[in-house]
Amino acid sequence: MNKNNNLSKQDSQKRIFIAMILSFVFFIAYDFLYIQPQQAVYDQQQAVASKTTTTGVDNKNQAPQVANSTNTNAAPVTKITQVNEIVSRITTNKNIIEIDSFGRIAQVTLLEEQYIDEDGKQIKLFASNQLRPLEVRFSNRALNEEAFKTNVVASSSSLNTKNGVQTLTLTQKMSNNTLVKTMKFYPDGHYDINVNVTNGAEFFVTPGFRPDVMADMYADHGVVLKMNDGTLTIVEDEDLDKTVNFTGVKFASAFDRYYSTILYNFKTSLAISLMPDNDDSPQVFIHAKDNIDLSGYAGPKNYRDLASLNKELTDAIEYGWFTFIAKPMFLLLQYIHDYVGNWGWTIVLVTILIKLILYPLSYKGMVSMNKLKELSPKIKEIQEKYKNDKQKSGAKMMEFYKKEGVNPMGGCLPILLQIPVFFSIYRVLLNSIELKGAEWAFWITDLAEMDPYFVLPILMGITMYVQQLITPNQMQDELQKKLFQFLPVIFTFFFLWFPAGLTLYWFINNLFTIAQQYYVNTLFAKAKVARHEDHLSHKHNKKD
Amino acid sequence: MIKKIILGFLAFYQKFLTLLSFGSCRFYPTCSAYSIQQFETNSLFKAIYFTIIRILKCNQLFNGGLDYPKVKVNLHNIQYKKINVKYWYVPTGNKQYLIIKNWNFKK
Repeated sequence: MNKNNNLSKQDSQKRIFIAMILSFVFFIAYDFLYIQPQQAVYDQQQAVASKTTTTGVDNKNQAPQVANSTNTNAAPVTKITQVNEIVSRITTNKNIIEIDSFGRIAQVTLLEEQYIDEDGKQIKLFASNQLRPLEVRFSNRALNEEAFKTNVVASSSSLNTKNGVQTLTLTQKMSNNTLVKTMKFYPDGHYDINVNVTNGAEFFVTPGFRPDVMADMYADHGVVLKMNDGTLTIVEDEDLDKTVNFTGVKFASAFDRYYSTILYNFKTSLAISLMPDNDDSPQVFIHAKDNIDLSGYAGPKNYRDLASLNKELTDAIEYGWFTFIAKPMFLLLQYIHDYVGNWGWTIVLVTILIKLILYPLSYKGMVSMNKLKELSPKIKEIQEKYKNDKQKSGAKMMEFYKKEGVNPMGGCLPILLQIPVFFSIYRVLLNSIELKGAEWAFWITDLAEMDPYFVLPILMGITMYVQQLITPNQMQDELQKKLFQFLPVIFTFFFLWFPAGLTLYWFINNLFTIAQQYYVNTLFAKAKVARHEDHLSHKHNKKD
Repeated sequence: MIKKIILGFLAFYQKFLTLLSFGSCRFYPTCSAYSIQQFETNSLFKAIYFTIIRILKCNQLFNGGLDYPKVKVNLHNIQYKKINVKYWYVPTGNKQYLIIKNWNFKK
């Protein structure tokens, strides 16, 4: 019997060990076989894309099919074979906007010094072979075809907003219709546009395909629409199998991780179609007839930049389904950052702040602990009596605690509350351009990326181990005990690839938990000594 | 069906994830055990409701201690034969019963 028991114990330990190794292998394999090839494919696509620039644009300029009351307009297909040239170049304080001979925004180059790529070059938002912002397509097939053969005439080939708002007129004369785009460029890099077509033609304007600077699998990319009722509709890339129509849209934003191209009108709502491209990624087309007024922005999803245009545009920064908590978290971080000036220290301060908010709870726990010290002999008694039945001993303990009005446990709620906090910080680190390349101190130069030397994760693991050491626990199950001891190792492993900011948060959090626990433990120890002396003197008295 | 999924998730939680929050519950039965018992004995929505209430109460502002699930049922189809008891229904009046798990229960 006994022997059997021993065997099964060894056996289960072995199994835990095997399970752990297997999970390690799985994650390493996942990284090498899935994430890295994806990245490679993505890089390849990038390379191919940049090659096609030189050979010319070859895409199908299809207007979305819109069912109107009388007929369904067949989507015209046009091929652009010529290399489009830049007809106008607008320089603002924040970017350079280039307009090509189709009257589209061919490229936006960001001028602010924090927006540079790995090679230190200025960021250009758009990939060469994709739909461009402000491209106009007509429902009428013949007109559409003609339009793509007719070059626009720009009122000026070069503008600079140094001296205030600049106006640019783009005119495209077709045989029966004339298209005029009147654009106003503002020093902050955004623009207003009026598109006017004579002879009652139905047409579509697009904010373009999403920027293609940082579109990886760690964060969403695609299209987000804000509706009149305040809700957001998000369509991710490669997720759209057929054209979908929407009405009552406030803004349409095509975004990658950090950048976005947006068209909006908060006075009159928009009707739009989302049309899939060859990869089933959404393309936005705004419906118009004769005349339409819009405002546009193409650049980083920087909270303050967007808020300065319109508060509602900040909804274009989306953190996935944790937005409702991640956005307040970002605002809190930003608020503190204004005083601190360093995102790393900001995270440290927020961690302390959260600990302070939970302090009343911990304090109550400590007081309870203090009371408990007088009862420890009785607790020992109960544990001794029921040491072979953990369920019974748990129940008896609780009965005892309730009777004495104490409870040493922290509770499930404080632990569960950690989860949303943790995820919101994770999403903020992943999606906020403000935290991209944010430094902390020492070797951490980018909080949104993993720690290159694995120092923080290892520190995190050590603090977790120490925390476990000094936290008293009465784990009775051998298997659980073993797993529990391995937890810091597993966590360290997980955190190796997490953004450094998140590891920093968890590390600081652990440090403070240790400090708290240490304080409680010293209280305990003091009480024990006091009781022991009390006990001795009592004995002494008896002897006398 | 939904109950089964939830119970499966809870079983998984008790086996593995509970290590993250080990020994922190202020109650007996623990929140997860309480939740399992609720889902096994109560209706779906009541079980969800009582589980949420229980978790919200599981912090230092509340005393914790013994807190068995309480259900309201009409007992019918009473069979008089020997059975393997999993839960004792302890009547507290007004058709309400405290659910107390039989420690010696084995499947």
